[in-house]
Order: sequence, then C-alpha cells, then structure tokens
Amino acid sequence: QTKEFRIGLITPAGHSWNRAAVAFGETLKKETGGRLSATVFHSGQLGNESAMMQQLQSGALDMGWIQAAELGSRVATVAAINAPYLVRSTAAVAQLVKTPAALKLLEVLPRETGCIGLGWGITGMRSVFSTKDLASSADLKGLKLRINPTPVYRDFYQSMGAAPTPIPTPQVFDAMANGQVDALEADIEFSWNARFDKVSKVILQMNALFMPFAPLVSGRVWASLPDKDKELIREQVAKSLDAQIAEIAGTEPGLLAKFKETGIAMKAEPAANVEASIKAFDAIWLPKAPAIAELRTAGAKL
Amino acid sequence: MLTSLFFLAVMFIGVPIGICLCLAGMFYIWDSGNPLLFQSFPMQMFGGVDSYGLIAIPLFILIGEIMNGGGITRRLVELSMAFIGSVKGGLAYVNILANALVSSIIGSATAQVAIMSQVMVPQMEKQGYDKTFAAGLTVYGGMLGPIIPPSVMFVVYSVLAQVAVGDMLIAGILPGILLTVLFFVLIALMGLVYEYPRSERRTLRQRARSVAVCSPTLLIPIVIVGSILSGLANPTEAAAVGAVASALVGRYVTKEFRFSQIPEMLVRSGIYSAIVLFLVAAAAVFSWILIFGKVPQATAAWVQTVAKDPVTFMLLSNVILLVIGTVIDGIPGLIMTVPILLPIATEVYGIDPRHFGVVVVVNLVLGLMSPPVGLSFFVAAAVTGAKPGKMFIVTLPFFLVCCVALVLLSIFPWLSLGLLK
Amino acid sequence: MQQPAPPRRNGLSSLVLDASSAVLRLERWLILGLMALLMALILVNVATRYTGMPIYWIDEAAVYSVVWLTFVGGSAMTRLRMDFAVTLLTDKLGAGAARIFKLTAGGGVLVFGLAMLWMCWIWMDPVGIARAGFDAKEFAGTSFNFLYTERTQTLNWPTWLLQTILPIFAFTLSLHAAANLVEDLGWQPKRRHAGFPVSDAEAVVN
Ligand code: NA
Ligand code: NA
Repeated sequence: QTKEFRIGLITPAGHSWNRAAVAFGETLKKETGGRLSATVFHSGQLGNESAMMQQLQSGALDMGWIQAAELGSRVATVAAINAPYLVRSTAAVAQLVKTPAALKLLEVLPRETGCIGLGWGITGMRSVFSTKDLASSADLKGLKLRINPTPVYRDFYQSMGAAPTPIPTPQVFDAMANGQVDALEADIEFSWNARFDKVSKVILQMNALFMPFAPLVSGRVWASLPDKDKELIREQVAKSLDAQIAEIAGTEPGLLAKFKETGIAMKAEPAANVEASIKAFDAIWLPKAPAIAELRTAGAKL
Repeated sequence: MLTSLFFLAVMFIGVPIGICLCLAGMFYIWDSGNPLLFQSFPMQMFGGVDSYGLIAIPLFILIGEIMNGGGITRRLVELSMAFIGSVKGGLAYVNILANALVSSIIGSATAQVAIMSQVMVPQMEKQGYDKTFAAGLTVYGGMLGPIIPPSVMFVVYSVLAQVAVGDMLIAGILPGILLTVLFFVLIALMGLVYEYPRSERRTLRQRARSVAVCSPTLLIPIVIVGSILSGLANPTEAAAVGAVASALVGRYVTKEFRFSQIPEMLVRSGIYSAIVLFLVAAAAVFSWILIFGKVPQATAAWVQTVAKDPVTFMLLSNVILLVIGTVIDGIPGLIMTVPILLPIATEVYGIDPRHFGVVVVVNLVLGLMSPPVGLSFFVAAAVTGAKPGKMFIVTLPFFLVCCVALVLLSIFPWLSLGLLK
Repeated sequence: MQQPAPPRRNGLSSLVLDASSAVLRLERWLILGLMALLMALILVNVATRYTGMPIYWIDEAAVYSVVWLTFVGGSAMTRLRMDFAVTLLTDKLGAGAARIFKLTAGGGVLVFGLAMLWMCWIWMDPVGIARAGFDAKEFAGTSFNFLYTERTQTLNWPTWLLQTILPIFAFTLSLHAAANLVEDLGWQPKRRHAGFPVSDAEAVVN
C-alpha cells in the first residue's frame, strides 16, 4: 500500500537539515516507484519540537528531525552527545556521530520517548561572538552570555564564570547590538545567516560544543511497517545524513573565510584551558550521563 | 472545502470567532479520518501561545491603560495638535500624526487601536465628527503600529525568514511614512467632499504653552527608547519599564493617576489581552490542522502554475494574503503563510526576503481591518461602541488607499530596501 | 423577545449561575495575579540582568504566566460575553429566529467546551496514569503517552502541571457556556459581574 510520511522540522526551508529531509523523500519515492514518499513541514509549522514529539508519540506525525537538546532534556543519557570537547573540530564531529558509541545513545529512545532514532546529523562547532575583547574562555568571566538554553551548555559556560542569559532567538541580534548581553554562542552556519559579525568585535572559536539532530520515526508508525520498508528507510535516511554531514564539514571553512574577510578579530580557545574545563564539566555530568566517558574515548581516537 | 463551509456556517450563526476556529479544526480532524490529531489538539492550543513574543501583548495593553489613566496619551495628542494647527479636518490629521508618534512606542496594531480609540474618538466626537468615522480612522492610524518600528510582526517574520531583525525594522520606516502621507492626502481630498470640523484656532503663544505643558509626557517614549538603546531592556521589557515610567509620570507630573487604580487596570488589560491571545491560540490550532491537511501547500503549487514573473507573483500573493487575512490575523497568518510563500518568492522569483516581508506584514495588517474577522475593528468597537460593519463602510476609501500602497510596495522594492543600502 | 420566566431560586439553573459566578470571581483574582506576576518577572529580569546576575528561568516563567492568562481570561471573557462574534446575519432576522440563532451559538460554545474536556481526557488519560500507580515511566511504556515524564526547559517543572490549565479551562468554559445558556433560555435573569470592564456583547459584535 502507498504511504506518505509527514516529516516535521523546526529549521527554515533552505537549511541543510531541510534539504536532507527533502532529499530523503525524493530518493525514497524513486526507490519505491512512488509507493513510499515524504512531505516536509519546515519552520516548526507543525509546532515546536516538544509539540512534534507529542505528535510522534501519538502517531499523528510520522517523522521528526529533532535536536539533541530536546532529546537530552527528556533523557539525560542522550545529553552526553552535547558534552564539551568530545572532539575538537567540525571534521571530527562528522566522524564522531557515526561511531557506535554515538549511535548507541539512540537505543534508549524507543523506551524513553516512544520514537525510533535513525542516526545523527550535525551542525558545526559553536563559537562565541562577543562585543567585548576576548582572548580565551578565561575572559568570559562575568560576561552576560546568550546561550541555547540546554542544561549541558548552561553548566559548561557557568563553569567558566559566564552568566548564561536566555534571550529568545528572534531578539538575539538586537540584544547584542544594544548590549543587553555581552556575547552569544552559536554555530557558524546560523551565525553567518544572522550576520552576528555585524554586532560583534571578536569571534572566539571554542571548538567545544556542537548540536546534532536525530531523524526520529514515531514508534507506533514504525511498528506498522513491514521489515523490508524499515530497512529501506534506514538506508535512505543514512544516505541523506551522510550528504548533510559532508556538506556542513565542507562549507564551514568557506564561511569562516567569509567572516575573516569582514575584518572581525578571530581567536581560538588555547588548548591549555581544555583539561580544566573538561574536569569541571564532567564532575557534574558524568554521573548523569555515563556515556560521556565512552564518547570521549571514541573522540580521542579520531 | 467542507471545513470552510462549516466554518462559515458556525461563524454566521454567531459563535465567537475563536470558538469557530476551534470547532472548524475539530470538524476537519473528524472529516479527514485522522482521529489521532484529537489527542494533540489541546497541546497545540497551548503551544500557540507558548511564545516569548506574545508577552508584549499584555504589556503593551497595560502601558496603554496607565498612559490613559494618567492623561498622558491625551497630552501627546495635544502636542500633535500644537504642530498641526487650525485647519479643516484638523483632528483627523492629528489622529494620524499622533498614531504615527505612538507607533514608535507600540508594536501591535490591536493594542494601539485600543489605546488611541480611547483617546481620539471622544475628542473627535466632541468636535462634531461622526463617531463611526472617528473610530474607523483610528483603526487605520493603528495600522502604523506594526509597520513603524518597533513591531512584533516584523520580529516574528525575521525569525521565520532568518533575516536580521534590525534589517526588518528599518525596512518598515519608509512604508510607514508612505502610509502616513497617503492618509494625509486622502483626508485632504475627502475634505473637499465632506464638511470636516475645523480645529480650534490657537495663537503661537498658546501652542508654545501646549508644548511646554505636554513635553514632560515625552519622558515616557524617551524612557522606553532609552532603555532599549542603553541595553537595559529588549523592546518587550521596555514596555514594562515604560509602564512604570507612565505610572510615575501620571502620579507625580500630570497628577491624574492614583496607585489604587492599578488592580483595576491589571484586570482590564488582562481581559483585553486574553481576548487577543485566545484568538492567537485558536488560530494556531486551526492553521496547524490546515497545514497537516496540506492546504497551504496546494495553494503554493497552484500559484506557481499561474504566476510567470515576480510582479505577477507579488500581486497574486497579495490577493491570497488578503483572503487569508480576512479570517486569520497577524501573527498566526505569518506563521501559516511565510514558510510556504517565502521559498517560492526567493527561490523561484528571486525576490529579496526583506522586501517580501514588508509586503506580507502590511498585507496581513490590512487583514486586521477587513471583514469578517477584522480584529482592529472589533477592538475599536469594544472601546467606542461604534459598529464594526458600519465603520468599515464609512472608511472604505482608507482601505482602498492601503491597497494602492500595497501595490506600490509590491512593485517598488526600494520603498522597503532603500534605507538598508 | 420572550418574557423571561420567573426565577426558580432553588433549581439546577440557579446552581449553575452561582457556580459560574464563584468561578468568575476566582478568575478575576487569577487575572490580577498573573498580570502582576508578569510585570514583576519582567522587571526583576531587567534589573538582575543589568546588574550582571541574570536569572535563568525568568523568561520561561513569564511565558507561562501569559499562557495561563490566555486561558483563564479566555474562560472569563466567555461569561462576560466579551468575545468577538459575527452577527451580520442574526441582526437581519426576526426576534424568534434570532433567539434560535443565539441559543445555537451558545450551544456551539458549550459543545466546544465539552469536546475540549473530552480531548483533554484522552490526552491526559487520568485513569491510565492512576492505573499505572502514578508511575510516569510505566504509564509511558504501555500507552506511548510521555506527558508525565516531561519537564520544562529552564524552570524544570513538570510540564503537565502547567498544562492542567487546559482541562481547567475546558471545565470553566463549559460552566460559563451553560450559565450563558441558562440566561438566554430565560430560565434565570441575567446577572451583573462586578469588578470587570463593562462591555455589552451587542457593542462588540457587528
Ligand atoms: Na511600532
Ligand atoms: Na480580517
């Protein structure tokens, strides 16, 4: 029988996650001669991630490409993937998310969230954009830093003495321009689209954090699919994720070069600070998310 | 299709609009044979108002309540009068000018209409204007609220379209001035046909006295703008700071405000906010169901087969948005249409997303003043007691002028982008 | 218009109006409190952030006070008959037909209130969670309903606690809709509600 999958995402139409979702739908349609297809609902049209999760659980929505922050806020062990310094470059992120240690995190999802995780896609390493001069994370002390409000990030930046400040995404640019916050942290793709360089003095490349996402399938929908289709979907999702990951890793150097051209000062977090940061963070998070240790081991080998 | 018939039926029976949207949504779920959606319905309503941007609505309405209680808006209006002087239809010009001034403080059309119709309509009535015309004119003046910065709608748009917030706000300045000028011209032309009362003659000395007496009230916009520029507050929070400033100015400068009025004002602004917010929640659940049913997507596919060039696409988008704007208001309208239309606009027709944003926002704001769900008219009606239907008919020339402005904005991108270059 | 029947002081209809009035008084205090809370949260946020000690959960608390305001106010405005409706058609009808339309419209509100109660019931599944011994995880495992395992992002409160406003809203809306119907049917005289802005429904609709 024919089946049309509804896929929900919060990112806007042109975003690399969306293009990956659309590409998945197209190859799925081609492979099955139109028997299976997918429609992508971008920009949070079906609700925010929390609302999409609920629709996935009830089976109203077939698939959702959901950020690790949302999953980590539900299942602490999944938050391990958000831990700082698992790897130190976007190129290494691209490899890390495909390791067994990273994929194993998804195994708890059916029981804990009622959804099946089909792998990881990525965004690049996050950088700090600041209106004050920064040479390293030591200068973050006392700064009002706008962060993505996920507990892992909060604890990481708090350990450096920054004051994590939640500002709603639409107001971040103005908050920086007006000095409500002194700095923000974001990935390079998003920062270039928002042109945060226009309201910043310095970009500090922390090379510590990244925000992956997982394509999820509703557990109820998954159970109703024949094994042959499950296999095909896994295959096609993996293929589109591979392309997405390669694209992020490939375009990031170009975006960094564009930032450099604007004349903004670019600094990198000195390696000397990393050990102390890891120690402070792991003291809090290792008990909650023991998988961090395994991910660090996997990351070190890359 | 069946759902729209059902919606129209319950609406004309007289079921409140918010409830109509909810009932129509439930009807669609039942009709589409996907009963799983019933389980997500309550949460989707919750999610519709679970948004930081909406905090601005109660704050903006509260600041308006306090400004009026303290006689502050009235003094800002008097300041506008001192500038306009004695001309035929003077108060009509004052209405528009004062609205343009207040727009630089307030980011929502409905809040502004609520405030300005409390102040302007009784004054205009006293001078002999028809109440319905006065209220209708204030509705169009209030249109400047979300177009002249700050603007909640532009902020929402910039999130959906991933363009810089600052760019969107600047893009609204010229269109705001364009509309103000067009309204002035229209009042002058209408003055050739109708006998508008002439505003009182005042000497230069009287005017100077007005300016001196009324100037302290300018403290409030200064506090609001200052708190934003100094980095103390974002535009939403600035409304709360402004509310405190208005209370203090009202109590100690104009001496018309008593702190004992605060509880009553909180209840009133809470109720007025809930009227708007509940509509937002209902519209959110309704558009969620429409999107689930791929109604907007089907529309987009059809658009592409009809429009061959950017200008045709823009004009066609305008027609579609006007139709959508008749039943769905501002922010929910943006949420529903931008994700569908914007990719077509930018990718197929090469339209600048900021230009498109201005056109979409102006268009959806115009939807606030078109029947049958013209929120602004209902707000003005609730405040003044004039009839919304009659208001629309009496001010029809203003609606047509807005349509002209919309065509100009669609055809000439520099009206939106000029200040950005 | 028909003559209202003499009030039946001890009837069920009187009870409905009394209950609705009591709820409305409570809603007035809630609206007042939520607005005051919202103002306080925003001002504290401004002050603490300016002094370099931002409080992490304030924005989220402010957003949820507005969500509660929406539904508490949405219920109250129904009883106050302050919601927008289109009576373009009903204005043109004779008294008898207009009365039927008005009752149908009132019935529509009641139907929505009851349907909302039912939707909240299947969503929150109170019997299911009780049967699972109020063990959120076990309940989620058998029902695929993870509502009771979720927490908010920065306040870290149970999400369902905040969302109880929806069934409360559904209940109070139904009660107010029933009270409006009791008045419209002429079973009881119309009541006035002190402490609210005065707004006649006829002035709001067109
Ligand atoms: Na404005
Ligand atoms: Na409308």
